[in-house]
Amino acid sequence: MSLSIKDLIGSLALSELVAGLGVTLKYMFKPSITIQYPEQKITLSPRFRGEHVLRRHDDGTERCVACKLCEAVCPAQAIFIEIDTESQVENRKTSEYDIDNSRCIFCGYCQEACPVDAIVLGPNCEMTTETRQDLLSNKEKLLANGERWKEQVDANLAADAKYR
Amino acid sequence: MAEILQVIHSFGEGLFGAIWPLVWALIKINVLMGPVMICVSYLTLAERKVIGAMQVRIGPNRVGFWGLLQPFADAAKLFFKETHIPAAADTVVFLIAPTLVLVPALLAWSAIPFAEGVVLADVNIGILYVLAISSLGVYGVLMSGWASNNRYSFLGALRSASQMVSYEVAMGFSIIPVVMLAGSLNLTDIVLDQKDMWNIIPLFPLAIVYFISVVAETNRTPFDLPEAEAELVAGFFTEYSAMSFGLFFLGEYANMILVSALATILFLGGWLPPVEWLSIIPGFVWFAIKVGFLLFVFLWIRATFPRYRYDQLMRLGWKVFLPIALIWIFVTGAAMHLFGLA
Amino acid sequence: MLVELIFYLFAAITVGAASMVVISKNQVHSVLFLVLTFFSTACLFVLIQAEFLAAILVMVYMGAVAVLFLFVVMMIDLDFAELRKNTYEHLPLGIAVGGVMLVEMVAIGVTYHAPEHLAVATPTPEGVHNTLALGRVLYSKYLLPFEMASLILLVALIGAVVLTLRSRKDRKRQDIGKQLARTRDEAVEVKKVKSWEGA
Repeated sequence: MSLSIKDLIGSLALSELVAGLGVTLKYMFKPSITIQYPEQKITLSPRFRGEHVLRRHDDGTERCVACKLCEAVCPAQAIFIEIDTESQVENRKTSEYDIDNSRCIFCGYCQEACPVDAIVLGPNCEMTTETRQDLLSNKEKLLANGERWKEQVDANLAADAKYR
Repeated sequence: MAEILQVIHSFGEGLFGAIWPLVWALIKINVLMGPVMICVSYLTLAERKVIGAMQVRIGPNRVGFWGLLQPFADAAKLFFKETHIPAAADTVVFLIAPTLVLVPALLAWSAIPFAEGVVLADVNIGILYVLAISSLGVYGVLMSGWASNNRYSFLGALRSASQMVSYEVAMGFSIIPVVMLAGSLNLTDIVLDQKDMWNIIPLFPLAIVYFISVVAETNRTPFDLPEAEAELVAGFFTEYSAMSFGLFFLGEYANMILVSALATILFLGGWLPPVEWLSIIPGFVWFAIKVGFLLFVFLWIRATFPRYRYDQLMRLGWKVFLPIALIWIFVTGAAMHLFGLA
Repeated sequence: MLVELIFYLFAAITVGAASMVVISKNQVHSVLFLVLTFFSTACLFVLIQAEFLAAILVMVYMGAVAVLFLFVVMMIDLDFAELRKNTYEHLPLGIAVGGVMLVEMVAIGVTYHAPEHLAVATPTPEGVHNTLALGRVLYSKYLLPFEMASLILLVALIGAVVLTLRSRKDRKRQDIGKQLARTRDEAVEVKKVKSWEGA
């Protein structure tokens, strides 16, 4: 139980410390892996769960049929839906569709629950606002999001479709 | 050069009369302090860049090209922040303390020779002067910790003070053989004595002991226990903000450059080139290169090693470094006697 | 002229700080003023070109001794108001002792005349700065007292360690050498554990 001569010399020569210094010196000359965010961005997975979008059919009518499944499944109770009482059974739709982004936990259950792929969590994660009020998204906002991210949302859904 | 100085002197005497020596001293101090402060501010940038590179990051690169204006941005931020004084603090002591950290670190520069004859005050006890002045930094630390009226600050200050006092012993003893070899306390003499062989060759263990001791002395990682953020929040400067915090920072970095310069003078032959034919490069450049290398080692160590435990820190200082230094003093004395160097 | 001005400045600081050591209500302030006294005394040493003594004064007294003072004083919780409560009771005794000391000092000051060779400061010899001169005197003429003083200090040092060193048998201590000497063979044992039979 005593130091061997080799170990003694090694510890006197600070061999382990020098080895550690060598590692950091080696890494100093490696190219940095920093992503300079506003200019460079990482590629997001097709399954990325960002800000909600409400989608429309290709003919421009809303997909949402006001089934309220998303409202029911939402664990954070962030969704509030009012049915448009004047709408017909064939094209039932909502009159209000609000999402409180300050409550939302971006779990994606609403997307899973939706039978018509109307509510989808889009690729947008840059959704800071200056007031809390702005975090409340109403139907217009969500539909506008749908227009804005249409291409990417469609592409993401197509990419992920075979795993569903 | 001498003629220009002559012209300046005669002009100054005409302008200021009897107080010209004082004014001249002030001018010299400013000419020295300006570059030192610039080096200090750029050392902060260098630290972030070097550690960034070692952690495969980039480091600051937003302010100015390659982040070169970052120190000025930091300084501006510190200047415009509010100096907050805790209600139960001892105000006067609280405000004096940061100055007492910075001032000794700058005062000691007056005895450091940058090249042959380029020194503000060529005192014949140079090394003692530098050691004495730099040992005063501990008061700023103790005062700040006590005056903050905060347990974390006080614990940090106590740790820091005992650490600095302990490692001063090891540091002082590791310098003694250098003084023995040179036969002088004057820093210029110590450098000129290394003309044939740098002190690091015969005194290699001591150079290592000295360097590790000054890392502890300047409270740098892996010996940054006083500010151990995990346990003591930020140690003795927990309660400081704005420029009073900035002064602690400046003091720490000025101290780093100071001890690196001292290590260069004591062990690396100061402004002397490694081989004779390289002496076409001026001595000042050699001095800067050596100090720069030692500062890089400071940053390198910070990027590599985790923090020591306090009792192990004390053990290292008293039970390892002190005996090594004492033994090497004896060995040096014996060798000098045997080879008739004394 | 300038040197005299500086001398009076530092002398005033020294005396002022020294009196503040006694007057100051806060014990930590007292120690800090003591440090200031040491420092301005060192400055006075520099003025009479005894820079070695000045540096040693700063290093030993300010760098080490006063730091320990400060340590102790910061740790203890002294209530100075409590201590000062009975000042006036002891005032006559204090005045008496102080008065006697004053009379003695005045008496010495008036009657004592330094011998001829001490009346003027010995000029330092050419080419020998005072560090060298001091070293020569200490290690030749006063070698025995010097070494004895260092021996006494060593005894005091060891005595302090012996008085405070307590070793308890039941205390678990870390032995870094032992830890470093541990090898994998001593520390790790590989066992085959059968399924459902392991503890």
